[in-house]
Amino acid sequence: MALLKIEDVTKVYEGKVTHRALNQFSFEVEKGEFLAIMGPSGSGKTTLLNLISTIDRPTSGVIELDGVNPHDLNKTELAYFRRKELGFIFQDFNLLPMLNVEENMVLPLTLDGMNVEEMQRRIDVLAQELDLTKILEKRPNEISGGQAQKTAIGRALIHRPTLILADEPTGNLDSKSTKDVLELLGRINQRENATIVMVTHDPIAASYCDRVLFIKDGEFFNEIYKDNQRQTFFQGILNVLSLLGGNVGDFTSVRLP
Amino acid sequence: MTLRQFAFRNVIRNSRVYAAFFMASISSVMVFFIYSMLMYHPRVENEFVTEIAFRGMFIAEIILVLFMLFFLFYSVRAFLEARSKEFGILMQLGMEKKQLNRLVLLEILIIGMTSVILGILFGFVFSKFFFMVVREILEIKSLALYFSWKPFALTIGTFMTLFIVISYVSIFTIKDDHVIQLIKGTQRKPEDVTFSWARAIFGMVLLVVGYVLAANATKSNLVTLAGLLPPIVTLGTYLFFTDTVQVFLKLIRKNKHVYWRKYRLLSVSEVAAMLKENARMFFISSMVSTLAFLAIGTLSSLSTFSHKYHQLNPLSLVYTSSADNPYEHRHITNLQHELQEEGLSYRLDRVVVKRQTSSKTHAPVKIISEKDLNNLAVSLGYPLVSLEKGHALFLAYSEESLKMLSKENVYTTLQESNVKLHIDSAYPKIVFPADKLGTNQIIVSDEDFKRIYAPMTGMNGTQSSSHIYIFNVPKWQDTKYVGHDLEMMINTAYAMGTEASLPFYFENTGLDYSFIRSTFALLLFIGLLAAAVFFLAAGSFIYFKLYTNLEQEKKQYETLYRMGVTKKEIRKLVNRQLIPQFFLPWAIAMVNSLFAFISLQVFWRGIADLSIMREIILVMVGVSLLQLLYFYLIRWRYLAHLKINI
Repeated sequence: MALLKIEDVTKVYEGKVTHRALNQFSFEVEKGEFLAIMGPSGSGKTTLLNLISTIDRPTSGVIELDGVNPHDLNKTELAYFRRKELGFIFQDFNLLPMLNVEENMVLPLTLDGMNVEEMQRRIDVLAQELDLTKILEKRPNEISGGQAQKTAIGRALIHRPTLILADEPTGNLDSKSTKDVLELLGRINQRENATIVMVTHDPIAASYCDRVLFIKDGEFFNEIYKDNQRQTFFQGILNVLSLLGGNVGDFTSVRLP
Repeated sequence: MTLRQFAFRNVIRNSRVYAAFFMASISSVMVFFIYSMLMYHPRVENEFVTEIAFRGMFIAEIILVLFMLFFLFYSVRAFLEARSKEFGILMQLGMEKKQLNRLVLLEILIIGMTSVILGILFGFVFSKFFFMVVREILEIKSLALYFSWKPFALTIGTFMTLFIVISYVSIFTIKDDHVIQLIKGTQRKPEDVTFSWARAIFGMVLLVVGYVLAANATKSNLVTLAGLLPPIVTLGTYLFFTDTVQVFLKLIRKNKHVYWRKYRLLSVSEVAAMLKENARMFFISSMVSTLAFLAIGTLSSLSTFSHKYHQLNPLSLVYTSSADNPYEHRHITNLQHELQEEGLSYRLDRVVVKRQTSSKTHAPVKIISEKDLNNLAVSLGYPLVSLEKGHALFLAYSEESLKMLSKENVYTTLQESNVKLHIDSAYPKIVFPADKLGTNQIIVSDEDFKRIYAPMTGMNGTQSSSHIYIFNVPKWQDTKYVGHDLEMMINTAYAMGTEASLPFYFENTGLDYSFIRSTFALLLFIGLLAAAVFFLAAGSFIYFKLYTNLEQEKKQYETLYRMGVTKKEIRKLVNRQLIPQFFLPWAIAMVNSLFAFISLQVFWRGIADLSIMREIILVMVGVSLLQLLYFYLIRWRYLAHLKINI
């Protein structure tokens, strides 16, 4: 059974210029799947992520997570839903600057009022896993981008959410950290059977996933599945991208015979 | 677009940022202007009653200007820091540092000029009202609105100088050597909060020592303490804000059972960063508040003093005459005449006072007879006494002494005349305060009184006894114009240093009362105006700080919101972030002034036997209510700004 179900979701932004960000968009995410969503700027990726993360409401259509439609809940229930079921990873980390690494990671648990021993246990395990043990006392402005993103991943994982949402998690990282972070996400996905939905621009990042979903102008464009070789998967992604992007499209027409 | 236009538009379009700052500067200009209007008032300049009050006003003006210097400097620097990104972009676009300086200078001058003009305008508009208030306080017949260039020149001169100095100084705080750093801006860099244990403990020790000393103040060490305590407590408060608070927070953070509990994690760390960043500002604001509390508290306790004045001085007009006074008869007739002219009814009593030495204490005693006291008691509506031979009563000089004396039981002999007396209680009312008859007064029976014939040792017969004429006027507040010529004679004698040889002394309770009352009321009024400005300025600074960090805070709250913190919880977090900013300096100021008042109480007990507790509590409650109101106002604005995106 699918963990996340998106059915005919449409999002229209009213305003001076009415803008249809998503148009009857449908897809499903299985439990334990690592999904990437790709598309050019303005294609509706972030809107989609905001809808899944329940901070925005669809104009029409149904979103279901583990059989629950979060948009049926009231605001407080919704907040508790996010707190329990979802984990977030952001492009610019969004760590709280006055908390140290350990405190940043433990934050979701303290909000839930868990007992300290259990929190400490989880922190120890996670810090080991993320290789953050040595910098637990450091503050976000004293650590590298890769470490910061790992901290953010720790924060997203610590309450064992049903679904992890990542918005361009490697957008601000150098290539070495990008590789680290993606391998880490892959490992978590494999070992913990965590379900991850990641929005990205970066074909390399996407190539670590099980499946890549392409979106264009708010509509489903294409999807491809991972094969045995990451290289060929990467090539496949590039091929779809070349069909997809505005400027990239111009190039392809030149290449056509 | 010229540079001038650019500067102008910058100010106009940033008006929301500047609003609170504007308000504080305008109100301070206004208060300053009103002070100067009063100071230069043609009538007021010649009034002798107001001399002290207007000296107070001058001091208040100086404090106001000094405070504004600090406040403006801090605020302007904070403005410039907040806009560093803008400056960075301007420099990247090729603006010279010189041009940038001119831009900043122009902007500050525009703000300064506007607030000076508006402040003077408001001040002038309201000055008639303030004159009316002052007129009531001083009980002057009229205090007309007048027009003179002096107050305008003083206000404009002072504040324009202030603004120009501030803008020149603050230009140097813009560092232009690294444009990139300007562009990146003053993102709050929460460097690991640093503090030293030694300083923290030292600060705590200073405060505790200061408080203990203040609480144990006695009459004898009061003067030493008055010199010693302010620096101790000031340094203590400074260290408290920079280090001690941080140590407390550190201790909380160490204990995860306490710290990792719901929002404490967030609020404690937020408060730690915020306190460190603004430690100096909080220090200044709490010291200024302490000063304001003290001013208001002291002044209102002075007005209690005047309220109690009549209780302490129940006699309206007192003419004390030594036995050999040749003018006695003439002066009394004159006084009677004047009272009749004023249309005031009165009762005149004559009291004969004799002096002797007590065998018990070897101190001089002043003695009045049962008959004289009873006459006086009838006029005052006090209970009568009836004494047998050999029996006497203490006559208390203050409420405190009344309590003590009524428990005494003494056998004594008046040495010179060898009159044996048994004194076992005190007369239940206060008739003569200490300044009229000293602290050793007794009432004896008429028989005994006659038996006192020998003059006190070291004195002749005329020095040893005196007459006191007491006029009891029911409308005692209206007697201030009676006996003016006697006052003048006494004043001249004082001025020439010959007061000891004057054979009479005259006291007018009504005049003294009106003098004390109006002086203190005016001082209180001045103090309140200044305190209002301090209060407004401190609040506006907090508001501004909040406003400049708004973007960052917003982002943080958005992250939290996404992570599943409900809006209600965010509201709570905002509360916890704001409350320490508003109430920590306030609380410290409260504690500081509370202890200051405790030692002041000692002083008051010494001179007037007066409890100032009620006034102090009133002042503190009043100021706290205002602070609470201000807190809600600013929280409301802040939440309104935050809500935009969540």
